[in-house]
Amino acid sequence: MSDRHAENSSLSTVRALTPRVVDAVETVANPVTEREREYRRIVALCAPFAALVLVAGLYPLSEVVRISVSTAQYRSVGFSLDAYATLFGDPYYRRVAFDSLWLTTGTTLVSVGLAVPIAHALEKYDLPGEDLLVTLVSFPISLPGIVAAFMILVLFGNNGVVTAVAATLTGSRPTDLAFAVSVPGLFVAFVYSMVPRATLILRGTYAEVDSAAEEAAQALGATPFETFRYVTLPQIRPGITGALILTFRTGLAIFGTLVVIQTLVVWTLQLSRELGVGYDVQVAGAMATVYFAFTFLFTVVGLRYTSAEVGI
Amino acid sequence: MRPSLSRRFGRSVVALTLFATVAFLIAPIVLTVVASFAASWTGVLPSGFVTFENWRAVLGLADTIGSQRSMGWSPLLSLPLGGETLSVLVPAELAFSIGLALGGVLINLVVGVPIAYAVSRYEFPGKEWVNAVSVLPLVPGVILGVAFLRAYPDLSATSFGLIVGYSLLKAPFMVMAVQSEFESMPLRQLEESARSLGASWPRTFLTVIVPNARSGIVSGAIICWALAAAEFNFSYIVWANGTQPLALFLQRHISNSSFTKAAAAVSMFFFIIVAVTLLLQRVGRRGFDTRGS
Repeated sequence: MSDRHAENSSLSTVRALTPRVVDAVETVANPVTEREREYRRIVALCAPFAALVLVAGLYPLSEVVRISVSTAQYRSVGFSLDAYATLFGDPYYRRVAFDSLWLTTGTTLVSVGLAVPIAHALEKYDLPGEDLLVTLVSFPISLPGIVAAFMILVLFGNNGVVTAVAATLTGSRPTDLAFAVSVPGLFVAFVYSMVPRATLILRGTYAEVDSAAEEAAQALGATPFETFRYVTLPQIRPGITGALILTFRTGLAIFGTLVVIQTLVVWTLQLSRELGVGYDVQVAGAMATVYFAFTFLFTVVGLRYTSAEVGI
Repeated sequence: MRPSLSRRFGRSVVALTLFATVAFLIAPIVLTVVASFAASWTGVLPSGFVTFENWRAVLGLADTIGSQRSMGWSPLLSLPLGGETLSVLVPAELAFSIGLALGGVLINLVVGVPIAYAVSRYEFPGKEWVNAVSVLPLVPGVILGVAFLRAYPDLSATSFGLIVGYSLLKAPFMVMAVQSEFESMPLRQLEESARSLGASWPRTFLTVIVPNARSGIVSGAIICWALAAAEFNFSYIVWANGTQPLALFLQRHISNSSFTKAAAAVSMFFFIIVAVTLLLQRVGRRGFDTRGS
């Protein structure tokens, strides 16, 4: 009885919606007013992007969601939540999720923490060779994670420069001092990839700061720190929130670095392992689904309930 | 009154953070390039300068074996000249990646420029969400790779699959670069002047708006190209066999080759990025910066 009621109400919703959808399609197909013609243009301008997202993004993702609840291994049939039960019940996967979250949170905080003074110095101070500094800070943005990992090997690996210098100074063996292939090494490698991105976002925020208010505060006797704390910081706060959200997303997505420095199994690395030996495609699908749902919700909530600015 | 702590030290501490970070980011890059010309690196500094052996090995000019195999050379085009055939040989992995990335950029141009214009020029309900979707990466490369394997099992490992994947992953960078250019242009005046002179709207868009945003479009294309050529995560998941994309070639060297040889492979990639950065600066941007300077 209640089912039929629900069906009726959903039917009536469809009936109520149908004319509006038909109207909208009609408007786009045969615009009469200038406003309607403008809507048609907007639809036409967004259509290629929408088509790409649909074909290359949303449809493949829907296939991933379907295989994650499939009962067969290679075909999407039936319905079972076994993969999700494994994911949420098995302590191993909880551990993977926990490791991903703390590593990404920690590296995000460090990266944005470094990016604020960097952006401050680049925008506020008259430094010699400022253009060069900007270029140098932005350069690593284009480096894939595997190269970032190699950079950490160059500095802190068994043959690394910092390792060799420290070994010469302290007289201990380089292999005892090298920490590139360890969790701290991975942490530093993440920061290497994330600092340039965080800086890029914050430089954009700093470019919009009203410097007249800062000068006024200085003239009224505020110390540089007080000026930053009470005048600059409130203005850049939306940018910092935006940088935290985007840098966190960047950090979660890192994968290449982990292929080279395999010391901590995080979500993306475990996901690729599911495809290798053993090939548990349902669990891989479930991991991809959970990842997508998590970053999507996290971003929507972040943008909706904070004043975060997303420029990049 | 005692001068405050921040007045005495604030500026130097902040500037020092900047210089220390730049050193941390750039020092390993410089060392890698230096090491690529060294015979070995076992002490504090690389030794045995100057040798081009590593470069010759990486570029496939010397004999190599197994997992340290270097680039193959394949004919890019063959010209029948008289009785003989003259082939232009190129490093296979490099040419393959350049081609794939170019394909991705072409798709990005078609999808990115119009949506950037829609968001910069018009007001419409849901505009913020359209903007957010177009400038935020939808999914990371690993997830997209798994999704492609599921949805297009036959297509995903082909060049076409790689191109489509790259274009979706790098589209936000194109949109951002073009959008920042559009925002500095008087779009409404441009559009209305062209329309009042009798141009249809499609013609206005294609022959007035797009050519005026040339520099933003060019720099967006260069950024997307470089990022697609370096894409590792997606390629790693979907690539099956045949010529390797450049990033996989780099990973193979980093994981298997001697340190100096890996350094040469990575340095080759650096030189590509430096060339791209210089190109970007020619069109008026500072490095990989999608905002106007």
